[in-house]
Amino acid sequence: MSRIIIGMSGGVDSAVAASILIEKGYDVEAIFMKNWEEDSEYCTSEQDYMDALQVCDKLNIPLHSVNFSKEYWDRVFQYFLEEYKNGRTPNPDVLCNNEIKFKEFLNYAIELGADKIATGHYVRSDDQNGKVKLLKGLDHDKDQSYFLYGLNQRQISSAFFPIGDQIKSKVRKKAEELGFDNHGKKDSVGICFIGERNIKDFLKQYLPANPGEIVTLDGLNIGQHDGLMYYTIGQRKGLGIGGGHTDIDGAWYVIDKDLNNNELIVGQGHNNAALYHKYIKASKLHWISGDSPNNERLNAKIRHRANDTPCQIKDMNKENITIEFEKSCFGIAPGQSVVFYDGEICLGGAIIDSYSN
Amino acid sequence: MYYFDHSATTPLLPEVSELMDHVNKDIYGNPSSIYSIGRKSRSIIENARKQIAESISAKSEQIIFTSGGTEANNQVFWSLINKEKNHVVSNVIEHPAVIRVLEFLENLGLDHDLVGVRKDGIISVDDITEAIKPETCLISLMLANNEIGTLQPVEEIVSIAKERDVLVHTDAVQCLGKIKVDVSSLGVDFLSLSAHKFYGPKGIGILYVKKPENFSSLIIGGGQEKNLRAGTENISAIAGMGLAAETITKSLDKKTSSLIKFEQQLKNGLNRFFKNTIYNGNQSKKLPGLVNISFPGNRSGIIMKKLDRADIAVSNGSACGSGDIKPSPILSSIGLDDSINLSTLRFSFGSSNTSQQVDYLLNELESILIEK
Repeated sequence: MSRIIIGMSGGVDSAVAASILIEKGYDVEAIFMKNWEEDSEYCTSEQDYMDALQVCDKLNIPLHSVNFSKEYWDRVFQYFLEEYKNGRTPNPDVLCNNEIKFKEFLNYAIELGADKIATGHYVRSDDQNGKVKLLKGLDHDKDQSYFLYGLNQRQISSAFFPIGDQIKSKVRKKAEELGFDNHGKKDSVGICFIGERNIKDFLKQYLPANPGEIVTLDGLNIGQHDGLMYYTIGQRKGLGIGGGHTDIDGAWYVIDKDLNNNELIVGQGHNNAALYHKYIKASKLHWISGDSPNNERLNAKIRHRANDTPCQIKDMNKENITIEFEKSCFGIAPGQSVVFYDGEICLGGAIIDSYSN
Repeated sequence: MYYFDHSATTPLLPEVSELMDHVNKDIYGNPSSIYSIGRKSRSIIENARKQIAESISAKSEQIIFTSGGTEANNQVFWSLINKEKNHVVSNVIEHPAVIRVLEFLENLGLDHDLVGVRKDGIISVDDITEAIKPETCLISLMLANNEIGTLQPVEEIVSIAKERDVLVHTDAVQCLGKIKVDVSSLGVDFLSLSAHKFYGPKGIGILYVKKPENFSSLIIGGGQEKNLRAGTENISAIAGMGLAAETITKSLDKKTSSLIKFEQQLKNGLNRFFKNTIYNGNQSKKLPGLVNISFPGNRSGIIMKKLDRADIAVSNGSACGSGDIKPSPILSSIGLDDSINLSTLRFSFGSSNTSQQVDYLLNELESILIEK
């Protein structure tokens, strides 16, 4: 019987994933990963661990713990800060999967004698002729392939995604039937280590804020920003400026950041042409199969919640890629990833550096 | 179950468990009540007080029942608030139940200094002596360390402290049942114990106070424990602790020699198949049966989890709520780098062990360490 070690977060998804593996007859053990330290050198017992423990108790499987907070700090968090410092909007969860869950955790599990690992991600994998494909989760609303595009063949083939073909509402229902206390626990949103905290307050602890002017596309000075790092391109709320400075109707949106002059460039209206771009240049290109796709016409997502948008590869080498969208795309934010799809198949992706028309 | 983590906690002695069942079932009177069943409860408590007092050579009236070692430590430190002298000398290898309390009480005007530790895991008498200031009111020095077992020079510190009119507290929770704990020869003013470390129940402990008449309560309410610890007494736990203390102290010599035997068996066995073990802390001045060993090149988390599969319980460092593993501050303080630190396990033997069990442990360790 194969031994599967599952990453157990205390949430409902990994809990149900574990139960599915047990039903299938695997020898299942769980590991609770701690990737973030809150200050002290002393240990804190956390609700998440207690939830994981309750689940493992119900399932009668062992729960181990491991601390990767140093690795996370060095390889994910430092990058996260660096990107913010450069005025970009990083996605630490992509990096966390590449560097922690599917590297440190995977290696640790194998050292512990696991044949495979499992996670509670909403994605599917498909093994054909020695090549493994990553597919979107069947529940498209919950699909997490965007965060896993950086995985390679070995990483995907070492992992099970037991809830990839499940619907979230059914997962919750199953958790309730199994008597898991976490069945009604809120989905985690946003960046794991920030949790429910305000990102602005969080960043303030690590990076000096540098307030400056908010300037319209026409060069009109209309207010003060708290520091460019606090804003994301396409952002509407939280600018602290009302509408009505010009005749064009509509709310203000962040259009660009001028790092040299420390200016936040804003424009009015969701339809503002300055918010839409046809071309993206991206780097750190990665293809899951190991090779670039044959087809130049693909779909792309420019953020987790974005729709698939048809695009074409215009230029590409091992590291970099330029794509052209069929229709201009709203709110492209450097630092986020652009992830490529062929229908259900997640092909790979890259990190957005710039956009143009 | 192969349990080698007696420094974390111990199983109840069967006779203790039996006594507690009986008290729980039958003796429900409030010890402060004057009718017969209340008096019955009272006499159980006072009998237990005598048992535990005798086990540490104290007088009954010097024993305050608390919820455990942590509360006992807290009561000592909190009693120092708003006194003329406001400085405490302690050290970096104390349990968080000392260090964190001192850190917290800084907000309330109680200052402290933590002296460092020598590489052999023993606090130097000179270092403590140098840290004493005119404002120092208390020195807190554990009798033995919980992670590496090293015995601390409490007696010597007491004689120095006396000369300077400074009180001495010792957290002795690791010691009863492993070494002789004698408050009169130690000469300390305060000593903390926790029942679950000596085969008694959890959630109960004592604070020994040399001069209870000058002392104050931490928990305020009814007049229990002669106004030094309010709250209706946990009769069955107190009874269990008393019996455990008496039993464990009576058989101390036998206990100690079997602890030493198991420890030697482990060391000899390891020496057969894993040569570069590091034994942390002074091996001749430590608690019997507590061994802290680094296995360079290995990760303690992995070894522990593989042992867990074989139903073997050992620990690395202080146990904690989320099962988290990180470098032990105590091992860092005696100079271990992070990688050695994270290759370290603590084995602590006890009454529930047999030499067959130690053989089984050695077999499993061998297959884990060699398979790699």
